[in-house]
Amino acid sequence: MNRLSRPFVAMRSSKLAIPGVLVGLAIAASACAVQPPPAANPPGQSAPAQPAASGEPIYIGVSGPLTGPNARYGVQWKKGFDLALDAINGKGGVRGRKLEYIFEDSQSDPKQSVVVAQKFVADPRIVIELGDFSSPASMAASPIYQRAGLVQFGFTNSHPDFTKGGDYMWSNSATQADLSPALAEFAHNTLGLNRLAVFYLNTDWGKATYDLFQQHAKKIGAEIVAAEAYLPDEKDFRSALTRVRDAKPDGIVLISYQADGAQIVQQLATTDLKVPIVGASSLHSPDFLRLGGAAVEGVYIRGQFSPEDPRPTVQAFVQAYRAKYNEEPDFFAAHAYDTMNIVAALIEVAGPDRRAIRDAFTQIKDVPSVIYGKVTFNPETRRVANPQFVDLIVKDGKFVTWDGSKQAGQ
Amino acid sequence: MPEFTLRAFADQLVNGLVIGNIYALIAIGLALIFGVANLINFAHGSVYMIGAYVGWVCVTGLGWSLGPTFIVVAVVCGVLGVLIERFGLRRLQSEARIAPLLATIGISFALDQLVQLIFSPNPQSFPSPLPATRVMLGGVSIGALDALIAAITITIAAALFAFLRFTRLGWALRATAQDREAAQQMGVDVNAINALAFAVASVLGGIGGVMIGMYFTSVYPTMSYGAMVKGFAANLLGGLGSVPGAVIGGLLLGLIETFGVALFGSTYRNLFTFVILIGVLVLRPTGLFGAQRAMPPEPLTGTFVANSKPVRIPWFVAIGGLVAAALLPFISSNPYLLQIFTNAWLFAMLALSITLVTGTAGQMSLGQAGFLAIGGYASALLAMRLGWPLELSLLAGAAIAAALGTLLMWPVFRLRNQYVALATLGIGEVINQIILNWEGLTNGVLGLSNIPPLSLFGLPIVETAPIYWFALAMLVVAALFQWRLTQSHLGRTWRAMREDEVAARAFGVSLHRYKALAFIAGGLIAGLSGAFTAHMYSYINNETFAATTSILGLTMVILGGMGNMSGAVVGAIALTALPELFRPLADARYLLYGVVLLLLVRFRPQGLLGTV
Repeated sequence: MNRLSRPFVAMRSSKLAIPGVLVGLAIAASACAVQPPPAANPPGQSAPAQPAASGEPIYIGVSGPLTGPNARYGVQWKKGFDLALDAINGKGGVRGRKLEYIFEDSQSDPKQSVVVAQKFVADPRIVIELGDFSSPASMAASPIYQRAGLVQFGFTNSHPDFTKGGDYMWSNSATQADLSPALAEFAHNTLGLNRLAVFYLNTDWGKATYDLFQQHAKKIGAEIVAAEAYLPDEKDFRSALTRVRDAKPDGIVLISYQADGAQIVQQLATTDLKVPIVGASSLHSPDFLRLGGAAVEGVYIRGQFSPEDPRPTVQAFVQAYRAKYNEEPDFFAAHAYDTMNIVAALIEVAGPDRRAIRDAFTQIKDVPSVIYGKVTFNPETRRVANPQFVDLIVKDGKFVTWDGSKQAGQ
Repeated sequence: MPEFTLRAFADQLVNGLVIGNIYALIAIGLALIFGVANLINFAHGSVYMIGAYVGWVCVTGLGWSLGPTFIVVAVVCGVLGVLIERFGLRRLQSEARIAPLLATIGISFALDQLVQLIFSPNPQSFPSPLPATRVMLGGVSIGALDALIAAITITIAAALFAFLRFTRLGWALRATAQDREAAQQMGVDVNAINALAFAVASVLGGIGGVMIGMYFTSVYPTMSYGAMVKGFAANLLGGLGSVPGAVIGGLLLGLIETFGVALFGSTYRNLFTFVILIGVLVLRPTGLFGAQRAMPPEPLTGTFVANSKPVRIPWFVAIGGLVAAALLPFISSNPYLLQIFTNAWLFAMLALSITLVTGTAGQMSLGQAGFLAIGGYASALLAMRLGWPLELSLLAGAAIAAALGTLLMWPVFRLRNQYVALATLGIGEVINQIILNWEGLTNGVLGLSNIPPLSLFGLPIVETAPIYWFALAMLVVAALFQWRLTQSHLGRTWRAMREDEVAARAFGVSLHRYKALAFIAGGLIAGLSGAFTAHMYSYINNETFAATTSILGLTMVILGGMGNMSGAVVGAIALTALPELFRPLADARYLLYGVVLLLLVRFRPQGLLGTV
């Protein structure tokens, strides 16, 4: 703190000191940069230290939002990471060393994510980087990671061009090419909806999902009677809902995130439009239930994992998550959990070496995963092939696997 | 487009009026503060957000009914308003008007972050305790909450009208708004009136926050910015500082938005709204209900510039600083440090352009990020689609930004004072929305990826140090260009215009042309910075140059000292480096950033290096 406040004390005192501001800031900044960055968020503090994991930990860099408008996603990431690390380090870590991550807040803002990228590539302890959250922030940093030869594992980056940034860009995010047709088939073939009204988040994720969704829906014979794109900060859907109501849909599709999805369903409840609602896997979150309350009862979700799935990987995750956080796991946390396990598998194969870790992506096969069942990377696309889907429904304020029966009264 | 039935029309009318009522409440608060303190209060949105959270705690956490909840919200927000006025702003009263503005930005940062630290960044569910039943009134469906919102707003507006019209305190408030000095001579305690205006405005903002929380069934820490922009827009529409204007502006804004969405869809909401807003301002430069003929500003009072002596930087210090900057990559090869300073140089160019337009020419611009965006997109598209070499596309990007941006800013030239600030904010937003929606050219939200990296005469510039030098060289060239302009006949004319538009015109200065020249020169510099950024990032979309970037740029300028070129550079370095220095604080770093901003303004209101 003393180091931080010094330039500003100088600033106040006299005019002559002003040029010193520049120098002072520079010195302070470099002092900060040269010192080994403290592990801001030492994970798994509560986990008992295992004798097997000894020596210097292996560090993973995470660049993501912890403040600003997207901060809630960064918070979910941490929960997933910490849970995975509890298990990994509890079993003695990787190659006898503990895994730890250093989470640097970027606010998911490109001007900060590039700075964080430079910080990570210059820190020899970091062997792989995870994130960022949004495409502008992630892809602005890609050239830096690519040049430095540090893998940027953009685990939420569904933007089709993300992994085209270079051979150090990998992602285990499902692309819209898988997600959108699955959603369309669920709505039309399974639920028998023919006149669809679609709300989609107007970001690169929502837009790309919608474009492919619309193509596939047409192909299988569903009609899209209304399509409402909305910006991430939109809160007032009443006007759009009135429009949608007059288009007379027999089903509503939400390509939304948890908060905006809940908002749409809540505001829909105040109109007299009563039709089934189908959501993308991103709605699979306790936040959606918390914010949506009674209104989200009966919403269908084409999810990517079910908390009731008997697979041991899923059960291990769900049980541990409930025990640690006293809430239901969500899609983002599950994804972060999976990602950390993949990272552990990579380091197990490659050791703490940046280049070897990149090569290990093609060597790891069938890593157990909550979301995919098993993960194997495609060396061409640098993504995961064939994600699985599971149909969920909100019942009594919980996500449960849909039993195939249609809701009464809908 | 769906057919517009009578029923749909009636429903949309209700939708628009309800949201318009809430906009009106926010706008009244802003109008009161603007009227009395002559200040655009950026912290008002944060007070509104805190009101929403207090309401949420009372209703959802403590299970209270709405009556006591509104009383508690009113008390908390009223006290908060007084505290902001007393400790954040009163000491700055005698300073340049720009200092309190920056203070409110700092307060807003700190309050938003504080709430996020206490209540987590997650949105909180705020279900309305009212019954969900809707009644049909003559073919229109109205919910209980809709009726409550309308009733509260009407009651508050009526009470406020009676207060301003029939009580002595209300007279004092109006007198202070009309002429502060005269009111003081008549024995009005203007400081108390100031505090009163903040208290009343904050109470209204807080109550608006509770209602919007229930209406949207959730509260979240970042709700302040959007509400503030809407409140400003409503104010502008009705006429700045006019309370009845704020009410009607709020209602109109709600209706315009709702019918805009009904006609074009949600994604065009802001585009449609701001185009209408700017259209109204072009026809009626003082808003719909502002005083018909705005009083010309008294000489030397209509500006943002303080009477203070700027710090003169001796030539050897300037040269020394430049040499040190140029040698930095040899002193430290840490790419993290170099990237921070590369960002600082790029932001310094934005700050230079703002300090030229706002400080030298007196046109307060909150839309300068629009120039960054145009420059970035133009250069990226020229290089990608037409295969232009980088040196050409960078320059062309800058030129296009200057030309196109100035053309878009043209409606602003008719406006005065704070109207300029808010209208430029709107135009910046319009530029952003055009980029979002013109998919054929800009690829919409998917953005432009694989933008060619920087190069110079065929030599690729991809390493951190060369990029750093390239950015520094551009900044130096831009600064020399601007220095030359401001020292010339042109600079003197700009300053004359800034000091007194009437006198300048009387001396034969064509105001529109000189304003255009300022925006062109500033646009060239900002456009170049944007173009460079696009190639450095290799990917841009509509969020890359978000509207908040303009406010950040202006903050740098105010911090360094208005119109002061070295101040702009120092401000850019400070505000780029501070959040990095505060990294060890994790979640709390932007809280400290806000507090530091506040302290800097408190002890150095004319800017670090003083106003030129």
